[in-house]
Amino acid sequence: MYEIRFHGRGGQGAVMAAQTLADAAVRSGFQAQAFPYFGAERRGAPVEAYARIDTSRIRTKSQVYRPHLVVIMDASLVELVDPTAGLRPGGKVVMNTTHRPEEVDLGAGVDAECGTVDASSIALEALKMPVVNTAMLGAIARVWDVVPMGAIVEAIEDRFGSKLGHRAGILNAEAARMAYDATAVGRTIGHREFAKERRWMPVWDEIPISVSLKKTVHDEEEVGPATTWQHRTGRWKWSTPLYKKERCIKCLRCWWSCPDAAIVRQDDDYMRWDLEYCKGCGICAEVCPVDAIRMVPEEEGGNP
Amino acid sequence: MAVKTITGDQAVAYGAMLARAEVVPGFPITPQTIIIEQISEFINDGLMDADFIPAESEHSVMSVAIGASAGGVRTFTATSSQGLALMYEMLFAAAPIRLPVVMAVANRSLGAASGIWTEHNDSVPVRESGWLQVYVESNQEALDMTIQAFRIAEDRRVMLPIMVCLDGFILSHVVEGVDIPEQAVVDRFLPKFSPVNVLDPRDPVMMNPVTPPEFATEMRYQQDRAVEAARVAIAEADEEFAALTGRRYGGLFESYRMDDAEYALAGLGTWAGIAREAVDQLRSEGKKAGLIKLRYMRPFPGQELRQATLNLKSLGTFDRSAAFNGYGPLFTEVRNALYGSGIMVTDHIAGIGGRDITVETVRDMYDIVERSARGEQVRDCTWHTLRGEMQ
Repeated sequence: MYEIRFHGRGGQGAVMAAQTLADAAVRSGFQAQAFPYFGAERRGAPVEAYARIDTSRIRTKSQVYRPHLVVIMDASLVELVDPTAGLRPGGKVVMNTTHRPEEVDLGAGVDAECGTVDASSIALEALKMPVVNTAMLGAIARVWDVVPMGAIVEAIEDRFGSKLGHRAGILNAEAARMAYDATAVGRTIGHREFAKERRWMPVWDEIPISVSLKKTVHDEEEVGPATTWQHRTGRWKWSTPLYKKERCIKCLRCWWSCPDAAIVRQDDDYMRWDLEYCKGCGICAEVCPVDAIRMVPEEEGGNP
Repeated sequence: MAVKTITGDQAVAYGAMLARAEVVPGFPITPQTIIIEQISEFINDGLMDADFIPAESEHSVMSVAIGASAGGVRTFTATSSQGLALMYEMLFAAAPIRLPVVMAVANRSLGAASGIWTEHNDSVPVRESGWLQVYVESNQEALDMTIQAFRIAEDRRVMLPIMVCLDGFILSHVVEGVDIPEQAVVDRFLPKFSPVNVLDPRDPVMMNPVTPPEFATEMRYQQDRAVEAARVAIAEADEEFAALTGRRYGGLFESYRMDDAEYALAGLGTWAGIAREAVDQLRSEGKKAGLIKLRYMRPFPGQELRQATLNLKSLGTFDRSAAFNGYGPLFTEVRNALYGSGIMVTDHIAGIGGRDITVETVRDMYDIVERSARGEQVRDCTWHTLRGEMQ
């Protein structure tokens, strides 16, 4: 049995990628399953999805802890989670990055065959949006020969076509083909020591009665009311707002609509964006009646 | 001390008043209605310093109770049957948030075939909601247990809500002489409510946050341990209440003429009083019959019951509801507790939908248990007073 783990961000299509890979495997004569980590998801938040592929019936329903293949759909996740945790000896990595495999550092102890591809650019070119799942599927076919590219293309055209329309199916298949051709294959050897994640994992009689939490520090992590400030959702974004103050009519629609209260209303009723917490969802740009806000790629830079 | 001739519902209301409940949300439903009516009169007459909050449904009643208790005030309410069913969702919030709400349940048959009469199929099915449950036999016990319930629920080792269950009509609407304790005595027994967690904007606390799989197991185990800890609190409360009032109920259950008993019945509620009569008759005929008046459904006195039945040859259980698995729910609990003990256990369903239970009904039960004790093959479960042959 092969086990595959996808690491992405909410909105990048990790779940669809896992399902499509399973679909392609079934088309190739395998038995397969795919499912996400069932958690509280938000656009931009780190997410996981899993796939299993086997020649016989897959009985387990557990999550994947010892993957044969790890797919990293967003390079910034390496700083937040440990994507190669449990990677089997001889296991492979496919990663969305502008770097070559030799330049990628997934942490001390990681020594694996690796395919890298600039899936974000390919997605923007083929789909006009940074949804990298289908490009990553093309890269998988290049690095990992279990599920053939033909079956992957077929599965993409069918699944994406039936869900998003025929044209979307064709375009997504094209993104996969472009990524297949552009993927660099090599070896990644890690050196960096990433900060170990320290999560509060209390034993049963340490949990405050009824899980009622006051603001407290446990194992260096703050828990309780008003501690969401720790989650710098600004690190999730791939696009950022560009605000043209001279066009703003101070209607406050963006201010009302921001789901993270990351738009700060100034004394003069013009707006300021708190980029530490703006996750780049683009709702402000969508509701602005005078096009004073435009979403631009993160590297082009937004507002001060 | 003063003896008043009052209904079970009124006795509960006196209990809530003497316990100094501070918030009472309510919605009327027979046969509980007299409780909240009496409380609203106490408040109106200036005898009780509490906020009475009429809500638009029982779901809202329990929501208000949760909010009030989370705000750090002593909270009481009452319901029956469909009212309890409508609260179902919120019952499962009150217990894990560990809010020591006290609620009287005047037991009434739930759902179709619609009836207002007593049956335990309203409160018994929610024994897995995390609430403690005590069942009472008399109006005096209804009053006393309403007071004790606050003490047990608010015990720092427990911090769980509790239902005080009284048989509808048979207690709720029957008048008996009830000794009303002095306020000073109750105040000695029941200290001021000292909540563990309080919703206070000046010192914010997050209650009932989303609890992901990483924490849920530990949290539930903690809840399970709190129910377990109630055993001690119940015993202590019974002891101290007896010292102050002279009335002792036996804690988790009461053994009646069990010392040399060879066979016995165990059951909840007013049935126990009728069973006492039956046991006395059997004893006068030289038969070694005994009675276990079960009082708590949660915590369930499994270990204690095993100890108390060591010398029995046969035990019957009385169920005032069916579990539709061929038995009643109490039987399932009791046989589970006695698993491997070698004691024959039989079930006796009666009193369904308020059908009257007489001494003769209970003697029929004892007759089957006695035959079982003699080694005779008897039915696992008998529906007493059923017209027609059982299959």
